Amino acid sequence: MRDIGKMAQLLVVEDERSLRELYQLELESEGYEILLAKDGIEAVELVEKSPPDLIIMDIRMPRMDGLEAMGKILDRYKKIPVIIHTAYQGYKDNFLSWNADAYVVKSSDMSELKAKISEILTHKKNR
Amino acid sequence: MNRSDFSMILDWERQPSPRDLLTLILAGGQGERLHPLTKDRSKPAVPFAGSYRIIDFTLSNCLNSNLRRIYLLTQYKSQSLDRHLRNGWSIHNPELGEFIEPVPPQRRFSTNWYDGTADAVFQNIYLLQQQKPALVVILSGDHVYRMDYRPLIRFHLEKKARATIAALVYPRRLSSFFGIMQVDSNQEVTSFVEKPADPPAMPGRPNESLVNMGVYVFNTETLVRAVIEDSKMDSTHDFGRDVLPALVQGGGIYAYFFEKEDGTTAYWRDIGTLESYYQAEMDFLQENPPFDLWNPNWPIRSYHPQVPPAWIAPREGQVFNSLVSSGCRIHGKVIHSILSPSVFVGENTQITDSIICNDVTIGDGARLRKAIVDKRIKIPAGFVVGEDPEADRERFLVTESGISVIPTGTLFD
Repeated sequence: MRDIGKMAQLLVVEDERSLRELYQLELESEGYEILLAKDGIEAVELVEKSPPDLIIMDIRMPRMDGLEAMGKILDRYKKIPVIIHTAYQGYKDNFLSWNADAYVVKSSDMSELKAKISEILTHKKNR
Repeated sequence: MNRSDFSMILDWERQPSPRDLLTLILAGGQGERLHPLTKDRSKPAVPFAGSYRIIDFTLSNCLNSNLRRIYLLTQYKSQSLDRHLRNGWSIHNPELGEFIEPVPPQRRFSTNWYDGTADAVFQNIYLLQQQKPALVVILSGDHVYRMDYRPLIRFHLEKKARATIAALVYPRRLSSFFGIMQVDSNQEVTSFVEKPADPPAMPGRPNESLVNMGVYVFNTETLVRAVIEDSKMDSTHDFGRDVLPALVQGGGIYAYFFEKEDGTTAYWRDIGTLESYYQAEMDFLQENPPFDLWNPNWPIRSYHPQVPPAWIAPREGQVFNSLVSSGCRIHGKVIHSILSPSVFVGENTQITDSIICNDVTIGDGARLRKAIVDKRIKIPAGFVVGEDPEADRERFLVTESGISVIPTGTLFD
């Protein structure tokens, strides 16, 4: 059995290229394998091909937003944990966001996101 | 404003206004055990007590309890239900925020139909998001009862409950078909088991159990979190089997006892089978029916076709202990039966213990006993049913207790 804690495959869904690259760099240095999607449609397609261990989902994106993509993905793969990662607090009031395992507001300091990822993956492994 | 502190829970001291409340009626059941009455229609659309459909009782309860924001979650064969709602229930004013709206599966995210009662709510979280009610009332579209939901809602607020389950004190020996609750002295639910073989009794009442009626009040937040959690489980996505037992673990779930003013158990019937359907209809032929259809303070609303009053022929036309709807013409004998609108009963006929639906014609000399005749059937002259069960079984579905069902579309030569 592979060690999910370190070799886990994460899908980062983020429309801004610079942020995508930054997250990839930061999370690869944590030992995760990173897949990238630039909007909801790409995310849904990617998950169909190869379901990741965890998804980090932006909300405001062109073509298909993160809430819609998360709904579609969880309908097929209800056990994949999703962390909503957005610049906005306001989506917390949206019931559709409650479908996620965690809600992290974007910050230049990525420690909260990293801690959540590790917490959720550990929990998943022990489940 | 700190949006993260957003709370939809009502100020507990305040009476809820209509906009604080949203009602979801679960009307998606397939009704297989009511077949062939559900051959072309969903269970809530099955005719009942002559001029009603089963859904009219729940919708009338809503209307009389001032619940006027209603989504009906429909699924199978909903066309006849949709038409009934349009014809009989287009009475709300959307400009005042009132509506009765059927919602079939939209497949917004899901590629599936409603898969259980909890999934029906889960798939419609976006409606709750749009409306943002403080409380959600969840009802079923296939129950026959008269209930004022306002005391239930008041009870929910007084208890500061997360959810409240309406409960019936029911004979224990008949309770194993239902969800059974146990409560503490404050009516907080301490256990919930669905359809137990040996239902637990109420404290000090060894012959009675506390039965889940399928009538709930939820704080919206509790409901949304519960159905989301359930959606991630490998469960049957059913309120009774999955959601309620899980919620009870977390506390704050209360049972409201549905009783008459004198403290005795009120009438409530889940129309699940042909037997329970027939029996419930017959209940309304008693001199003291389960509840009063004539009560001017609690009208049961329905769609009524524009037909003249019932007419009984002189001498040969005789009617005893029956409900006869408008538009009927009776030349024969009708005993202990229920006739929907526009039934024609020919000469020298005898109809006993039967339910006859709209636009049925019964030919001269026919004898019907313990029969359910669905809409628009033409019963030929001299036809007999209900006297020889073996012969009947070769032609029709006959229930264990001997009720013959003649479905829509049956032709006789």
